[in-house]
Amino acid sequence: MTALAVTGATLARVLRDRTALFFMVLLPVAIIVVIGVTVSGFDQFRIGLVPAAQAGPVARELTSDLQEAPGLRTRTYDTPDDARTALRRAELDAVVMVPNGLDADVRAGRSVSVPVLVEPSGSAGHGAVSSVSAVVAEHAARLQAARFASDETGGPFDDTLALARTAERTASPIVVRSETVNGQSDFLPLGYSYSTPTMLVLFVFINALAGGAAIVQTRRTGVYARALAAPVAARTLVFGETIAYLLLAVLQSLLIVGIGALAFDVAWGDPLAAGALVTVWALVGTGAGVLAGALFRTPEQVHAIGPALGIGLGMLGGCMWPLALVPDWLRSAGHAVPHAWAVDAWTTLLSRDGDLAAILRDLGVLAAFATALLTLASLSLRHRLTTSAGA
Amino acid sequence: MKNVLECSHLVRRFGERTAVDDVSLSIAPGETYGLLGPNGAGKTTTIRMVCGLLRPDAGTVHVAGLPVNTAAGPAKQLIGFVPQDVALYPDLSVRENLRFFGRLYRLPRRRLERRVDEVLHLIDLGGRARDRVDSLSGGMRRRLNIGAGLVHSPTLLVLDEPTVGVDPQSRHAILESVTRFGEEGMAVLYTTHYMEEAERLCDRVGIIDRGGLVAEGTPRELVALVAERDRVRLTAVGGLTAYADACRRLARVEGAARSGDKGDVVELVVKDARSLLPDLLDLAHALDVGIRSVEIDEPDLEAVFLHLTGTALRE
Repeated sequence: MTALAVTGATLARVLRDRTALFFMVLLPVAIIVVIGVTVSGFDQFRIGLVPAAQAGPVARELTSDLQEAPGLRTRTYDTPDDARTALRRAELDAVVMVPNGLDADVRAGRSVSVPVLVEPSGSAGHGAVSSVSAVVAEHAARLQAARFASDETGGPFDDTLALARTAERTASPIVVRSETVNGQSDFLPLGYSYSTPTMLVLFVFINALAGGAAIVQTRRTGVYARALAAPVAARTLVFGETIAYLLLAVLQSLLIVGIGALAFDVAWGDPLAAGALVTVWALVGTGAGVLAGALFRTPEQVHAIGPALGIGLGMLGGCMWPLALVPDWLRSAGHAVPHAWAVDAWTTLLSRDGDLAAILRDLGVLAAFATALLTLASLSLRHRLTTSAGA
Repeated sequence: MKNVLECSHLVRRFGERTAVDDVSLSIAPGETYGLLGPNGAGKTTTIRMVCGLLRPDAGTVHVAGLPVNTAAGPAKQLIGFVPQDVALYPDLSVRENLRFFGRLYRLPRRRLERRVDEVLHLIDLGGRARDRVDSLSGGMRRRLNIGAGLVHSPTLLVLDEPTVGVDPQSRHAILESVTRFGEEGMAVLYTTHYMEEAERLCDRVGIIDRGGLVAEGTPRELVALVAERDRVRLTAVGGLTAYADACRRLARVEGAARSGDKGDVVELVVKDARSLLPDLLDLAHALDVGIRSVEIDEPDLEAVFLHLTGTALRE
């Protein structure tokens, strides 16, 4: 009851602080959007399209097929020179030149080549050619079917092409299904599914850490000292503050999860496992925040050191880039901080379709971090309150 | 009548320094007790022990017969503590702060709301109840600081120099409030280094210096300790030598002499200057002496403190 008075006061103060709300909600969402947009095209090739000068239906259809291909991100250029310039500047992975006489050659039964330009030094060029070739081959198959039907029946090519399109739509497609061996992936899915969980890990921790400033401020206002003159034990004050910071961390997590799911279409995986992960991570953040509140002397110290420390730990722990990309020694060092374990757990949930059992080891390690931080924080704050009468 | 506060032989040391040395005091219900002393005399350390914020090295504190210690014991429910510095949440409203401190004392919801309204009325901040504390003037914050110590209707109110740095108007309001608390039966422990506050408010005063209680009693009893006489300083024109001689012959005048750079001052040592003043003025009129100004220095707690400690009280 008395602890809840402390909890209520802290919650009221933080939730009314517009700066705190900015760091709690707006900034994480903004960074999620920026990083999400930045990494969302990594699984697509950038293709420059130069349409035929006088395009007939076949050429237009090929252009359309290329534009709609899921693995390609196309941009149309008016002239081949413009497209070549963009390719040289590495703005594109490849350039597709739709031939001017495509329609006439197809109708005449002549062989047609679709030029694809790549830079020899471009690492994605060959992959881009493969993807373009797949689209062109599919288009060519439709044309060949129409040509064959026209030759066999003597019907007009345009009619048999329409029949081929209909047949293509109604026939069961043959697709390639890719599957990662053993279901293992060391990466989160790209786009918002990458940025949202990593920013959840980063910002819940940073926000909790920076929130320690409110504890320092309360110490300095003398409210704790005054509270200790009431029939209130120091541990009650510590408990009240801890509950407040835990609720704030959970609230921030839920906001990010909700915004991620609703606005960015992030699939958070098994709800039970995700809930457990959010809760344990909130406990880790709470421990760090209360510890900061006990150890720092001024709110300015917390504001200066807290976010910098949080960002540093986040970088080390794989919130900025996948730890699978860094050398082994750095990956091992990264797992000295809790962030790495949290990102690992999210990777398991989002990329490997994991459940609670699959992340139990990560949760266990995070729970150990949370226990250590909360114990240290409680003892430090209690010591601070009782030895210097709340200051 | 049983005392509300009983402090017995309190001692507190910080390293080699003894901040409070064998201090004993008691306060009866409705009594306002002033702990008077300069900065560093041991006032705040004493009240921190009284409020259970600091463990004494020796001695005991009882409030209404209940022992006070640093644990959250029942005695603390009876104490209202008003610290020297404003100790409130600056970013919560006036009402929210009062509510917060009331909840620390486990007041039931309905009683809490009633007491918050009463205290708001008492400290004259009803119109600012919804305003944030950091939007209040310094004087208003001081009043709220006191109000936060009153929400749970304490038996003993402990105020640690509540008027330090306060403008005259707010100081007057605070002193009026404290007077009212005593009249309403609350025991008040009031620390100050302002003599006039102790003289105005306190039924009894304890003079503390270098950690020790050097004297205790009503202001009148303490003044009687030094047995000083009033000094009257008359600035005048006319036959001042004759006037001084005539004054010397009056009863209750123990000495009279001309002084001043221009010889225009007559200084007198008298008993009860205020009652003697009409006689002195009549005598001046009779001798055709024109009185320009009169200054009376009465013995006060300042003089008592000077007498007892050999030092002056200072800010």
